Amino acid sequence: MQDFAALLMLNRQLTKLAPVDIVILVLYFALVVFIGFYAKGKANTSEDFFLAGREMTAWIAGLSFVSANLGSLELMGWAGAAYQYGILAAHWYWIGAIPAMLFLGIVMMPFYYISKTHSVPGYLQLRFGEGARAVSAVSFAVMTILMSGVNMYAMALVMKTVLGWNISFSIWIGAATVALYVMLGGLRSAIINEVLQFVLIWAGAAMIPILGLIEAGGWTKLKAQIALNVGTTDYGHMWSTLGSFKDNPMGVHWTGIVFGLGFVISFGYWTTDFLVVQRVLSANNLRAAKMAPVIGAAFKMAVPFIVIVPGLLALAVLKNPDGTMMHLVPESVAAATGQHSFNEVLPLMLIRYCGPGLLGLGITALVAGFMSGMAGNVSAFSTVWTYDLYGAFLNKKASDRHYVAMGRWSTVIGMLVSIGTAYLVMNAASIMDYVQALFSFFIAPLFGTVILGMLWKRATHWGGFLGLLSGTIASVGMFIWVQTDSTALRYIAMSPNAKPMAENLYRALWSWIICVVVTAVVSLVTKPVPTEQLSGLVYGVTPIPHDGSKTIFEKPIFWAIVVIVVFFVLNLIFW
Amino acid sequence: MDKQERAIESAELSIWFFCGILMLAYGVVLVITGITELHHPPANEILLPWLQHLHPTLGWGIVLTVFGGFYSIRFRPGRP
Repeated sequence: MQDFAALLMLNRQLTKLAPVDIVILVLYFALVVFIGFYAKGKANTSEDFFLAGREMTAWIAGLSFVSANLGSLELMGWAGAAYQYGILAAHWYWIGAIPAMLFLGIVMMPFYYISKTHSVPGYLQLRFGEGARAVSAVSFAVMTILMSGVNMYAMALVMKTVLGWNISFSIWIGAATVALYVMLGGLRSAIINEVLQFVLIWAGAAMIPILGLIEAGGWTKLKAQIALNVGTTDYGHMWSTLGSFKDNPMGVHWTGIVFGLGFVISFGYWTTDFLVVQRVLSANNLRAAKMAPVIGAAFKMAVPFIVIVPGLLALAVLKNPDGTMMHLVPESVAAATGQHSFNEVLPLMLIRYCGPGLLGLGITALVAGFMSGMAGNVSAFSTVWTYDLYGAFLNKKASDRHYVAMGRWSTVIGMLVSIGTAYLVMNAASIMDYVQALFSFFIAPLFGTVILGMLWKRATHWGGFLGLLSGTIASVGMFIWVQTDSTALRYIAMSPNAKPMAENLYRALWSWIICVVVTAVVSLVTKPVPTEQLSGLVYGVTPIPHDGSKTIFEKPIFWAIVVIVVFFVLNLIFW
Repeated sequence: MDKQERAIESAELSIWFFCGILMLAYGVVLVITGITELHHPPANEILLPWLQHLHPTLGWGIVLTVFGGFYSIRFRPGRP
């Protein structure tokens, strides 16, 4: 993941909006608020409020699923990464997402869906008991609320540096709008806005790669120009430079990309992070729940076109006003020299190609991305707080109406805490890097626990709980080790040539292995869970109902095969 | 989309209608802006003369108008 603190230290106002741009921004805000009031009339029961009535079609759940991850921090960060590391950055969109999304749809979704759980911690409670649920729910609730605050501050700072807006104005307007529409309409409102945001991001950002490729003279000429400008062809290859840590700009090895990113981090995020899984749980039947991640994967494969291509284009065509090539630099250098940084690449390309109107559309897409990020976090927080903390430990027997009211209040309070986080981050930007690191502590071991719980009936309550705990502690331990002694990276990544990007990949891999080994060993020496208690939760003891598909074109597995074939072809093309 | 899904979507304002109406509005705004820019190109197009001949604001406005118009009509409230 990108360095959040660095991402947000953009240090000068880049442009200003014309009246037509303001009109475009205002239209978006007006529609978002209208959607909140519209969705309120349909959020009467807890099922309505927290799971959008479980009546979303596969397309809507699928787009919302992929959109929940398509925040503006991601867009700007990975466009900067593409400038810095070349097309290697696309791994985070392809091998770092597609196989995991398909696995969620085809293998894991039936268990989440037929167990009728409201959340991922809820599934852990059914499979491993209250201890595992408490660990997972508390960590998730804290993380989501912190992430919401980070998104809020990020939006305010980007608006300040790109447009010169006041930070407090952006924070309060963004927070009030998101709180209003999530409090009123719950998950339904958040999902409608996420689908809207997905369309908006394409409408606002697609002109950059289209016009950029016209300027560069096509893909082949673009690659040739990059090779000429940077003096190597490494920036145009995804796999051929990964044989050694020192052969590629990122300083990673293919084992880290395949096993660390493609397996542990990716599967951990896409299959156990409730923020994204919640979107699929809103599907209206089992087939839709299986199809949604497959549809999401198909769209995810296209995202590098609007994120990675602009970063690559900047390497070839971005020039200073005097006609010389513009060289973007790391944030620390930019602060000292006044140059532009890697993380400014997307706004710079937007300003280069988009005049009034198109610029407003691009800026609105960024605002929508930030707000959607806040809404996703707050709606997931509200669900986990109400079901897995308040309803599980504080007030078990309240009425459905009471839980809906609690959902609404927790949305508002969650948003206020997020605002507090945003101001905290304003005074200590490095907090954002730690928040991101905290997220990574839990995701990899959680995937170990969930996958063993679903596929291995011998996994016991103590095995799951202690495996999750030890994997998490190991991850924290490795993080602190590298923070206090940078030479430790050579041991964790198993190479003296490894660069910081490799640390995340190998730390996730080790913490997952530790979680799986501890879970397996403890399970084998503790009393097995009776098979009858595992029905509906574990593969092998659960009759999977037919998903209702009649023809081959209705079968999720058919479309999953199509997507995975396209995925392999793309990787071969850009090898 | 099967019959049941269609029934759910037509009983209320569809998400696709929201997408369509917003894109239609943006398309119209961009088309108007693009037409006014035909004789007064913006600063970035003067800086990059090859952009002027492409009329990106007008062209993209037309694309969004067609896309938004189609979705607004196809998923309009109360459709059969």
